[in-house]
Amino acid sequence: MVETGIPKLDDFLDGGIPKGKSLVYYIQPGVEGEIFGMQTIHSTLKSGGTAIFVVSSTIPDIVKGQFKEYGWDIDPYKDKLFFVDSYNPLIGAPSNEKYVVQKPDNINDFNKIILDIIKETPPGTIVFGSLSTIMDLCGEKETIEAVKTWNKMAMVHDHVMVYNFTAWPYSRETLELIQGDLFNAVISIGGIAERVIFGQYFGVLKSDWAEITKKSMLFRVLRPGGVKLFIPKILVTGPFDAGKSTFVHALSTRAISVDRLGTTIAMDHGHVDYKGFSADIFGTPGQERFDPIIKLLSGESMGVFLVVDSTNPADFVRAKHMLEITKSYGLPYVVVANKQDSSGALKPEEIRNQFNLPQDVPVVPVVAKDKIGVFEAFEILIDKITGGA
Amino acid sequence: MSDTIELVDKLLADLKNIGGVEACIAASRDGLLIRATMEKEQLMDSLSAMSATMLGAAETAITQAEKGVPNRVIVESEHGKLVVVGAGSKALLIVLAAPNAGLGLILLELEKSAKKLKDILT
Repeated sequence: MVETGIPKLDDFLDGGIPKGKSLVYYIQPGVEGEIFGMQTIHSTLKSGGTAIFVVSSTIPDIVKGQFKEYGWDIDPYKDKLFFVDSYNPLIGAPSNEKYVVQKPDNINDFNKIILDIIKETPPGTIVFGSLSTIMDLCGEKETIEAVKTWNKMAMVHDHVMVYNFTAWPYSRETLELIQGDLFNAVISIGGIAERVIFGQYFGVLKSDWAEITKKSMLFRVLRPGGVKLFIPKILVTGPFDAGKSTFVHALSTRAISVDRLGTTIAMDHGHVDYKGFSADIFGTPGQERFDPIIKLLSGESMGVFLVVDSTNPADFVRAKHMLEITKSYGLPYVVVANKQDSSGALKPEEIRNQFNLPQDVPVVPVVAKDKIGVFEAFEILIDKITGGA
Repeated sequence: MSDTIELVDKLLADLKNIGGVEACIAASRDGLLIRATMEKEQLMDSLSAMSATMLGAAETAITQAEKGVPNRVIVESEHGKLVVVGAGSKALLIVLAAPNAGLGLILLELEKSAKKLKDILT
């Protein structure tokens, strides 16, 4: 099993790509998809495997620079990572790589080198930086025939084959074949401009070893960092003095607040980088006089933390009301039972009863000022947002 | 989708070409970054959120005083200026300008760009 290194995708694939299987990243033009193959290489190297990167659309030195940009040090893996250079010969430049495709516009040349690698190197991960570029140079039909052979041979020799493929307007048969029978798994990577957020997502289109989840995940590419799952907005709301700002600050890598006299008057904004997730947190003010602003800012949330003061059950009515104001019903939400360290704090189960909360709404005990329980709450909410897969 | 992004990027780039303008951001009314001319995405994120809050608060304040809807919010400080205008019901535009920048032309162009952005996003 080789992990793709893409957060959540490995869960979707029941742990990663089994030996002998092939996977294609099917990328819509204009989306930053090429990094997926690179991230899988990095993941292979990190777990001690051997990786071969077939570079077709730029010189290997630039690719090495890109690894650095993403914060992945490949220097220690000199004897584990090899490049197949099929770009330098194209522009007539000399190549320093171990493998060089002398005639990149001739599929037979590719065939010979790839098959040699498959037969001679120990089982590892072979990643094609851009299958579409090979296709442009060698022809659609010819390339597909070659890929069929490579995948078959890789199966025999226990290699994992990974291809980046940009879905330019090729012939229908070609595109259907690539989405269909040619590979064991297809990960589609696309973009959306729905509503106003421009996002990029990935989802499993096909996989013949893991059950397919219909879920698509939003992502963004960070330098350094690579592919991170992206949650544009998580709302933190709750009554006055429940500890919302403290919670936002405890959770965030960076956060800012607009405070006067110790209470939030406009909002808190924080950014969380945690376990492959990149999320932006919006905290609302608690007092009723700010309700008009809360309404304005709560749109497009993907999930909600409802922060309550566990020592103050009188405020629970207001807390429920705030869920209504933020139009949060229907969104995944987690109740953050804050101030658990104070005397008289109600236990999470007591809060559930007082609140009349359904069983599937988690109540998480938290002491926000000491950062106790905040990341547990975050993980639980993320799990709910991403479908708990 | 890449077309829409290109259009927004072009619009922001044009706006940034005006003398004195240092950065432009398109954001959603509820505070999410759409696109920006500046690289520092992290700074842009919170700036988008805060600008949306300001415009939202200004809107509530002036409407409740029965003085109509605000045309824009302008913040002036020793080191620069910040202007926020609404662009349709979904988006807003934010401009950061140098302290000595003349606001006349900027506001005029900002108004035009806001209309364009509104059209692009519908």
